[in-house]
Amino acid sequence: MTGFVDLYTEADSFLHRMDPRVKIAAVVLLSLLALIVGNLVNLLALLAFVLLLLVLGRATLSKTAFALKFVLRIMVMIVVLWPIFDPSGTPVLAELGPVKVTEPAIWKGVATAVRVCCLATVWYILMFTTSQRDLVRALVKLGLRFDFGLALAISLRFIPTFGATVESITDAQRARGLELDRGAPLKRSRNYVAVLVPTIVSALRTADMLSLTLQSRAYGARPDRTYLRELRMRWSDALALAAVVALFALPAAAKYLFGMAL
Amino acid sequence: MIPSTQALPAQDRIISVRDLKYIYEGGVEALKGLNLDIRSGEFVAIVGGNGSGKTTFAKTLNGLLRPTSGLVTIGGRPAASMTVAELAKTVGYAFQNPDHQLFSSSVENEVRFGPRNLGYPEAEVAKKVEAAIDAMDLGPIRGHPPLSLRLSDRRRTSIASVIAMDPKVLILDEPTTGLDLAETEALMESVCKLNREGRTVVLITHDMRLVAEYAHRVVVMAAGRVLLDTDASGAFSDLALLGQSNLEPPQVTLLAHRLSDRGVPKDIISPEELALRLFMLRGDRR
Repeated sequence: MTGFVDLYTEADSFLHRMDPRVKIAAVVLLSLLALIVGNLVNLLALLAFVLLLLVLGRATLSKTAFALKFVLRIMVMIVVLWPIFDPSGTPVLAELGPVKVTEPAIWKGVATAVRVCCLATVWYILMFTTSQRDLVRALVKLGLRFDFGLALAISLRFIPTFGATVESITDAQRARGLELDRGAPLKRSRNYVAVLVPTIVSALRTADMLSLTLQSRAYGARPDRTYLRELRMRWSDALALAAVVALFALPAAAKYLFGMAL
Repeated sequence: MIPSTQALPAQDRIISVRDLKYIYEGGVEALKGLNLDIRSGEFVAIVGGNGSGKTTFAKTLNGLLRPTSGLVTIGGRPAASMTVAELAKTVGYAFQNPDHQLFSSSVENEVRFGPRNLGYPEAEVAKKVEAAIDAMDLGPIRGHPPLSLRLSDRRRTSIASVIAMDPKVLILDEPTTGLDLAETEALMESVCKLNREGRTVVLITHDMRLVAEYAHRVVVMAAGRVLLDTDASGAFSDLALLGQSNLEPPQVTLLAHRLSDRGVPKDIISPEELALRLFMLRGDRR
């Protein structure tokens, strides 16, 4: 396989049970919070909170490592590159030709890396505690048109299928002597035509069939839809929402109303 | 019975597989120690239920999958030392779904793709393309866009595009799925002709009628192993064994099994044979 794994993991935690609308709101607010806060200590506190949520949401270590491996690489890059390209501040720790490494720049790099980690982890928590169906259901309840929600759900559902098709097509063409990564750049891009055309044709055929299946099940027969599963806010959901709003509003007010440095 | 392939001199074996194991990423053990020899010119059917490892096995023969352990030898050379493109010169693999490979503007261009990739000189390519189009009876539609052809012609085109690389071994993965009786027979007739001309054919299928009618040798796979390796009538005499691989012999063989206590042998695979036996039995009684 091409390595695609659905991040959603079934488990029984308060995050899994939480109303997906509240989760989406929480993720957006926590992301904004991570952008507002600039101080390393505060960012670390936020990261600690987010990691606590991760643990409470019963994230498995292997899946988390798989999902955040990529982010870790970006973090390392930020920490290394930031001081090289940001010559501002004193004291200067090292100077090599045009490159000037300063102490504040190092801390800024670290803070930015922590911020990126916060952002990625928050969204990862949403993905692994919320099934794609719930996510789409929540977006529709928040005002997304149902057709768009369905289209989104279907495209998410078909990503692995599509991946398998691409793999099978690539195999079929390799069995005909196609060597994708050989030859000059122009030849190489021409090679991909042999994979691209069957892929597009197969995607179109699938889409065509899918629309027939939808129609044959009377999709769109009545304009006012009813839902088998209604989302319902419970007290705990309202409480969680209030907590997150407060968590965001207090620092935001402190920074923008009272001019405190965070 | 066919002679045991173990005793064959090495040069007669076009394909030789020893202790082949394949474990997919994620831990599924698809092949659990497979041993098999295929001689040059044979028509072998590989049968087995879904998930028995047929397609995985076939993909190790042309290098699309590299074995977790074990040895695959193609034409005397270890497959591990060859690229997929090099292996394609010896082992041609026609995929189950022709739509996974058709992309050209005409049947002729489609067929030309393979031999071009293998770097044959143009004159040679032209010759191979003609031979392949001829073998699959695609002459009348050689200029048509392959994607708009009906399924049986799309499949013929995909097989022709593999034959055009002139492989000694032709692997066909479920070539008759979705074809009607006439289309199936016409396709198998073309395949048999290729076999008579000396090409080794490996047919992967569920269709036991096809096996009974065309294959010289049957390899029954179950759970990643070879369960049985025999001629067609031998494969159908052991119902319990076939059942293990979710297979059932053709109906005529089942009928022969039911009649076995009246003296009909169990290894019958064609209606003509059964009719003959029944006539002979009537004669005996008179």
